[in-house]
Amino acid sequence: MGRVEVRALGGVSLEVAKGEFVGIMGASGSGKSTLLHILGLLDRPTSGRVLIDGTDVLALSDHRRTLFRLNRLGYVFQDYALIGELTALENVYLTSLVRGASKAEYLERSTEILRRVGLGDRMDHRQSELSGGEQQRVAIARALVNNPSILLADEPCANLDSQTSRSILDLFARLNEDLDQTIVMVSHEDWHKEYFCRIVTLRDGLIEEMVECRKA
Amino acid sequence: MLAGLRVSAFLAWKSIQRGSRGTLALTIMIIALIFVNLVFLPSIISGVVETFDAQSIDFDLGNLVIEPREGSQYIDDVTSLQKKVERIAGITGTSPRITAGVTYFYRGRNAASTLYGITPEDERSVTRIAEYMTAGEFLSNGDTDAIVMGTTLAGTEGEEAGGLPSLQGVGVGDSVEVAYPNGETRTYRVKGLFETQSFGVDTAAFVTTREMSRVLGLQDQASMILVKTAVNGREDEYKTEILSYGVQEDVLTFREKSGGFVEQAIQSFNIINTISTLVSLIIAIVVVFIVIFINTVNRRRQIGILKAIGIDQQIIINSYVLQVLFITAVGALVGIALNAGVTTYLTAYPLVFPGGPVYPDVEVSAILRSIASLFAVSMVAGYIPAWRIAREDILSAIRG
Repeated sequence: MGRVEVRALGGVSLEVAKGEFVGIMGASGSGKSTLLHILGLLDRPTSGRVLIDGTDVLALSDHRRTLFRLNRLGYVFQDYALIGELTALENVYLTSLVRGASKAEYLERSTEILRRVGLGDRMDHRQSELSGGEQQRVAIARALVNNPSILLADEPCANLDSQTSRSILDLFARLNEDLDQTIVMVSHEDWHKEYFCRIVTLRDGLIEEMVECRKA
Repeated sequence: MLAGLRVSAFLAWKSIQRGSRGTLALTIMIIALIFVNLVFLPSIISGVVETFDAQSIDFDLGNLVIEPREGSQYIDDVTSLQKKVERIAGITGTSPRITAGVTYFYRGRNAASTLYGITPEDERSVTRIAEYMTAGEFLSNGDTDAIVMGTTLAGTEGEEAGGLPSLQGVGVGDSVEVAYPNGETRTYRVKGLFETQSFGVDTAAFVTTREMSRVLGLQDQASMILVKTAVNGREDEYKTEILSYGVQEDVLTFREKSGGFVEQAIQSFNIINTISTLVSLIIAIVVVFIVIFINTVNRRRQIGILKAIGIDQQIIINSYVLQVLFITAVGALVGIALNAGVTTYLTAYPLVFPGGPVYPDVEVSAILRSIASLFAVSMVAGYIPAWRIAREDILSAIRG
């Protein structure tokens, strides 16, 4: 048995402007997560280009890609992907540590962001002591702490109830409106559409439809 | 670079602080026991060597031995040679000895062993046998019908001495008959018994030089002259100096006189020690490798997440290496404490070797060598599994 080659994406051409809140939607297997992985420099396409702030990120060395992820991208995973041994605050300031920030700087910035996402009183709690919604807020705070150019979110509400999902999407919307934060979010929930500026629908690895929407 | 190290240290510390305490304690304990094993055997070997050296110097040979030149049975003009040697700075005593292989008879039993003719005062200036009398007294210069013998030769009533010469129950005041190699026979009163725990000495006996010279017909002659120096360990220097004074006889250090016995023993011990060290280090490698391998496999997803959020692979690897260094450092400290306990116990209750009690002699160099080896193998054993997992593709790692 050889390895089976699957063409997850083909011919996708997409431009995202600064300050946009783009929703990538589509059925399961349509290639939306693959597209997000490529945008987040977690995966490499077999061909094509990805330009972020004018940088051809696919041409970067592994080390430079790591630095690019650290400094320019924020990634929110479907299942939160927190480091279980760290508290909420430590999870958030970890990447600031890597950037060489002073203790005062990273504590101030991380505390501020955790307060902004509504976790001012849960900062010293570890993952196991937080609810799903709280964990996802920590993940969002972690993604935002280094002022990323783009916040990438891979079905961030998939494991949350509708009320908690709405609070997370409200948070995204506020970040987008208040901070002009560019957000690209993968979702398959129809009701999420109301939050997006633009909806890109994928089907079998191709863009099936691109719809401009009003901001929520 | 520094920021990277800071993050590695942060991740390592949090993992140690909030990881499994049981696994951590067990790993530290294993490293500690390996450390004890690395230090213990060399300390015993060192102790054995020290015991053999001390026994040889204090009871058997002194620091140096002057022997008859080739072709001669005895050293002539002993008094003059003694005076010449004793003039050398740092030489604190000389003791001429006449040696004879004799047969002892006591109550129908007999034993063949060595009889030494000594000048008691001179012997006291070189060996410490006179301080180890278990019964009676040591010889005096004027004694002619007295003998002192080792407790092994004297023996215990009704007990064999395991192949060693034994008269099975000689006590102070008893009479022992001695048959000299020239056919002369003498009866001596046992004046004292000594026990040095050096089997070569405790199977021998002593009479005065005056008596033995008379029996063997010698005049100011000796089979050997033992030489005591002020400082141990500089025998080669003293040997050169004695020879530079025009001494024509053979001069041997106590190690040379032992016929390489100690060197052979050291070589054999060192082979055992090398095998033991290698086995210990292999165990250390396997233990650390397994612990870090399981650790990294269990945290494969976490490693993927760390890479995904922009943490360099090397920072992640270094965090595991730092954990290993911490475990090894604490393990070595616990090992030092355990070793101190073992050493204290064995100092109070020493191991008994044929040469006498052996006290562990822990050398600082052995401790440093063991620590360095442990750190080296642990780092390698920690680095490899961490490197294998950390270089994995991000998405594969995250998916587990």
